[in-house]
Amino acid sequence: MTTIMNSFKPHEKRIARKIKETTDIFTIEIDMESNSYPGQFYELSILGIGEAPISAASSSSEKLKFTIRSIGHVTSKIFEQDVIGVRGPYGNYWPFKEYDRILAIAGGIGIPPIRALIHELEGKKDLWVIYGARTPSDLVYKYEFDQWRNKANLILTVDRGDESWNGKVGLVTKYIPEIPDLKNMAAFLIGPPIMMENSVKDLLKYGLQPENIFLSLERRMECGFGVCGHCNVGHFYVCEDGPIFRYSEVSNLPELFL
Amino acid sequence: MAQISVCPYCGTGCQIVVPEKDEPFSVSGYKGSPVNNGKLCIKGYTGLNYSFSKERLTYPLFNENGNFIRISWEDAIELAANKLLKIREEFGPDSVAFQSSAKCTNEENYLMQKMARVFGTNNIDHCARSCHSPTALGLINTLGTGAATGSIKSLEGTNTFFIIGSNTTEQHPIIGSKIISEVKKGKKLIVADPRKIKLAELADIHMQFRPGTDVALLNSLMFVIVKEKLYDKEFIDSRTEGFNELREEVIKYDPIITSEITGVEPELVYEAARTYATNRPSAIFYAMGITQHIHGTENVMNVSNLALITGNLGKYGSGIFPLRGQNNVQGSSDMGALAEFYPGYIRWDSDKIEKFAKLWNSTLPKKKGLTLSEMFDKAADGEIKAIYLMGENPLITEANIARVEEGIDNLEFFIVQDIFMTLTAAKADLVLPAASSLEKEGTFTNTERRIQRIFPIYKPPGEAKPDWWIINKIGSRMNLWKEYSGPEEIFNEIREAIYNYSGATYENIYPVGKQWPINKENPDGTEILHTRSFPLGKGKLVPIKFNPPSESVDGEYDLIMTTGRNYFHWHSGTMTRLSQILEREAPEPYIEINSEDAYERKIRNGQLVNVKSRHGEIRIRAKVTNLVPKGIVFIPFHYKESRVNLLVGENLDPISKIPEFKVVAVKVMP
Amino acid sequence: MIYSLNAEEMAQLYERISKEFETYGTVDIQGDITFSRIESYDELRIGRSDKPPKEFLIGRNENVLVFTEPNKKAVFGVMSCDLKGFYIMDKQIYGKDPFYTARRDNTVFINYVCTEPCETGFCSSFGGPLLNDYQIQVINYENDKYLIYADDAYKSFFEGFKQASKEEISKVEKLMHNFNMKQKKHEVEGIENRIKWNSKLWDEYAKICIQCGACNYSCPTCYCFDLNDVGEERFREWDSCILAGFTKTSAGNPRESLASRLRQRFYHKFVYYKKSKGEYLCTGCNRCTDDCPVDIEIKEVIDHDYNNE
Ligand SMILES: Cc1cc2nc3c(=O)[nH]c(=O)nc-3n(C[C@H](O)[C@H](O)[C@H](O)COP(=O)(O)OP(=O)(O)OC[C@H]3O[C@@H](n4cnc5c(N)ncnc54)[C@H](O)[C@@H]3O)c2cc1C
Ligand code: SF4
Ligand code: SF4
Ligand code: SF4
Ligand code: FES
Repeated sequence: MTTIMNSFKPHEKRIARKIKETTDIFTIEIDMESNSYPGQFYELSILGIGEAPISAASSSSEKLKFTIRSIGHVTSKIFEQDVIGVRGPYGNYWPFKEYDRILAIAGGIGIPPIRALIHELEGKKDLWVIYGARTPSDLVYKYEFDQWRNKANLILTVDRGDESWNGKVGLVTKYIPEIPDLKNMAAFLIGPPIMMENSVKDLLKYGLQPENIFLSLERRMECGFGVCGHCNVGHFYVCEDGPIFRYSEVSNLPELFL
Repeated sequence: MAQISVCPYCGTGCQIVVPEKDEPFSVSGYKGSPVNNGKLCIKGYTGLNYSFSKERLTYPLFNENGNFIRISWEDAIELAANKLLKIREEFGPDSVAFQSSAKCTNEENYLMQKMARVFGTNNIDHCARSCHSPTALGLINTLGTGAATGSIKSLEGTNTFFIIGSNTTEQHPIIGSKIISEVKKGKKLIVADPRKIKLAELADIHMQFRPGTDVALLNSLMFVIVKEKLYDKEFIDSRTEGFNELREEVIKYDPIITSEITGVEPELVYEAARTYATNRPSAIFYAMGITQHIHGTENVMNVSNLALITGNLGKYGSGIFPLRGQNNVQGSSDMGALAEFYPGYIRWDSDKIEKFAKLWNSTLPKKKGLTLSEMFDKAADGEIKAIYLMGENPLITEANIARVEEGIDNLEFFIVQDIFMTLTAAKADLVLPAASSLEKEGTFTNTERRIQRIFPIYKPPGEAKPDWWIINKIGSRMNLWKEYSGPEEIFNEIREAIYNYSGATYENIYPVGKQWPINKENPDGTEILHTRSFPLGKGKLVPIKFNPPSESVDGEYDLIMTTGRNYFHWHSGTMTRLSQILEREAPEPYIEINSEDAYERKIRNGQLVNVKSRHGEIRIRAKVTNLVPKGIVFIPFHYKESRVNLLVGENLDPISKIPEFKVVAVKVMP
Repeated sequence: MIYSLNAEEMAQLYERISKEFETYGTVDIQGDITFSRIESYDELRIGRSDKPPKEFLIGRNENVLVFTEPNKKAVFGVMSCDLKGFYIMDKQIYGKDPFYTARRDNTVFINYVCTEPCETGFCSSFGGPLLNDYQIQVINYENDKYLIYADDAYKSFFEGFKQASKEEISKVEKLMHNFNMKQKKHEVEGIENRIKWNSKLWDEYAKICIQCGACNYSCPTCYCFDLNDVGEERFREWDSCILAGFTKTSAGNPRESLASRLRQRFYHKFVYYKKSKGEYLCTGCNRCTDDCPVDIEIKEVIDHDYNNE
């Protein structure tokens, strides 16, 4: 008799390191090698509480990392754990291999898979990153920014500054025009729906081709591998056909942006 | 093989088909049922998980200084019986109180009230007190029978539906859906409700009246009917008495005047009155929106007035439908698990109770019994020393919980019989693990008086036992009766005790139940009550004067709060909150507040707010919505995280002793 | 292979199958036909079952953390519209859901083909009850005569039984042709192009739908479920896309309104699945309508004139 692998069953993994990023966001490093590419996600779980889909924040050659905003049952409990359930990776990844010039735009807690991308590319491609957060204290990975600047052109912006902040202020869309030769770039977007919607509008305006714009969609997810039916948008299942979609393939889906 | 049973939730009493254990498990509606024709609501489909929960109580537990230790049934029964007897010896029978449950079967309720009375006290009551005691009292006063007058099926003959104080599609979804189906066919629908409930959207007329002004609204409807002579003269003459007195009262309620009180435009009142009175047969539906007031009983009598003067009783498609909350409120009331009534609604102080002395071979108590809230009150005062409580969770569902808690803490001995370790059970000295409705035999009586059977389809977990088994054992140990062999023997005694049940047998009410009265005259049961006469002879018309509710707004407490249920949960949530799907849909308590009120108070949707009444305060999330009108807020009462009943005061209907859950003045602060 | 059996041989067939499989079948519970464990062929009652046999493959409520190799089960009395549901949902979940897959591989459904249209079903709009995909398909075309289409994997059960003659087969084909002629047709083909996003139907339905979930729970092609932890267990529970919580996320709800959720159900059935898997996610069993307490009709969704609302 063949033994069937139970794809619902997570592997128990030790949390090797924990970093408090902001008041409600933290990063954990799992005691295992990443075997995922930037943009893919895992299901993390705490037995008795539940599961949550979380993007890998690590590149394929790092230890597996996640950066998580604590907003509910599971996410608010992960930081306290020593061991968590991990299954995955699931979904597709940013098509970084196909492009030489990439503009990545991340808003809020959308940054983890872009961090993964920065570390994956290691400065080998012309990567521009616009990362926006609500306030300076909402920015995560501050301790890595210097390192990032060696690998990518980094634009940081906040909606509202404070005394300590002397960087850029405003929505991410405000800084898109600063990128040189936009037209021929690929854009990878991830963040709140409204941010993505406005960014797409602007990018198209600046002449980017719809087939070169990629969105990472967030939907409610349960299984992560295409059987529970929760994540559908139009005829796609975000967990298996995405989470990353070519804008030209989804632009006419009425429920694209919430 | 699969078996037919009854959904354990609302009073609709939908019949379900349940497969046996170890078979792929999924519930479906019984297609042969005249109640639900194979249909179910979400609670019926997904709400049965609780029965399989690992949190079920499995052994009798004794509370030893705050630690629950497992004891044997033998010891538990011995302990319960000895303690109760000892307290009786020391303080007399009236120092003990018994609380029955509308979730339990007729057999169990019958046995519980018998236990109380043979024990020597009328201190027997249950949650019908906090939902439908005004119905029993009100309708018995005016018609002689406190129950729905027609059948669910008879709604196919209804031409006008008048819904007052019932969010039918959420609380009695399958009855709600029946109404929707009929309205789709072109029947008329009138809704009187402070909230924009789902049926209001489909209604021809929606009267959004202020909570607590039911009497004024109903009187103004009758004003129009009297003024325009839309009443049924023949019916009034031949079947009722007291019309002149009623007329004299209602002519004071010109809709132009009452609109000040109720907030309802006079034109709407005119239109509603005309439709209800002329587009007959008309049926009235009400639930807790009518009963949970200090004028609860009067409200019910006024509903009855309206139906009587328009001749909307005793005919197929017409009638009064008090929608019962718990699946067996009708039955538990029929069984006499109420302080003032013996089985079959025989008053405790009437001569007729002699029959029970004979049947039970016992003397009967001479003192008036205590009602639910009085029991806790007297416990707090030290007069009640022991309570034996079955299947209820008063620490969430009762009004004025603080006082309830005080009462419980003051008891010498507290027995709780339940399927879960509820908040209330956690305070007991002795916890007795009961079987769920899928694990026992017996009968339930639904909101249309239909007696239906349930079966032990699964084995109870651990050593849990059916409630009847437990009461039976304790009662016989106290020498109150000789042990019964099983539910059928108890049912057969019920048939002797209640004439309206006398014709029902376990055989003839299966697979499809029958509606009482079922007796020699009506061997097949009775679909429509009062076709020729009322049990009282003539229907009594009782003039009702409008008095304002117990609470009103002032500068500080400037909003009126009303409480109720939502679609996904059930009462204290002990059962539904174990269904993950139901819990996901309505995971946390909330207060519905009108957008204008919210704006004035700078409250955003989803924000945590403090709600304060003259009795207490809770913290809860705001749901900004226009489902409630300006000036009114709504909170569901299922949640132990913020128990809304902490806000409800001690104002009781003087007749039925129901607390005023529906009108509480509050202030809401961000 | 196609065989011809009589009633007695049918009972023998059952005996043979029951030696290798745990047997289940449709039984009569006070007039309701429902699936149950059966011990003998006599217990079987053929008729329109009150629900699809979906729970044989997707647990209504089950712990997904513990996987046990399923018993081999044979389920007698499955209607074509229900069986077809499995072949359709296979395209999305077979091979991925380990429980479904293992049970699918270990369960044989013995399909009893209706020879007379039922009251409300409209399977002929989807090709009729004679299916191309089946394991064992039984047509009781005359009193004591059964024509059986059986997949070769089950050949051994039919050893010694007669193969069907040409006449018998053509008789059955004619019977099924007549079946399809008798049943009212609903123009399903092309519905994905006719149906309208902003149709007034969705708002009309939202006004009356009481969110009971029956249209999902009763549907032989709805497979969605929810995952939730209870103690040490992680439960799969059938889910309903009519409920708001189905899609709620921390960022908002893409289907906040009931109208959008009702539309979703029909779009998934008639537009999305067709596009992603090449087939409608519907077999015409009409259960979603029969079990809907407010009579929302799937046939109306198909027949509605979207261009002239
Ligand atoms: C592909 C993908 C990648 C993600 N990556 C990250 C990440 O890197 N970091 C991060 O902080 N968050 C990420 N999220 C969001 C994260 O999954 C949710 O915040 C998390 O599931 C909430 O779980 P909870 O149990 O803590 O919240 P709950 O207590 O379950 O609910 C809190 C809120 O979250 C919503 N929610 C519940 N379950 C889900 C779900 N499965 N998906 C989305 N929303 C849900 C609820 O409706 C509710 O509004 C990602 C989501 C997706 C779909
Ligand atoms: S309507 Fe009431 S009795 Fe019927 S399934 Fe729903 S909760 Fe149960
Ligand atoms: S959508 Fe309705 S008709 Fe189609 S398969 Fe499902 S239940 Fe049957
Ligand atoms: S069966 Fe009908 S009422 Fe129930 S959820 Fe489906 S459409 Fe709504
Ligand atoms: S998350 Fe289950 S199908 Fe996508």
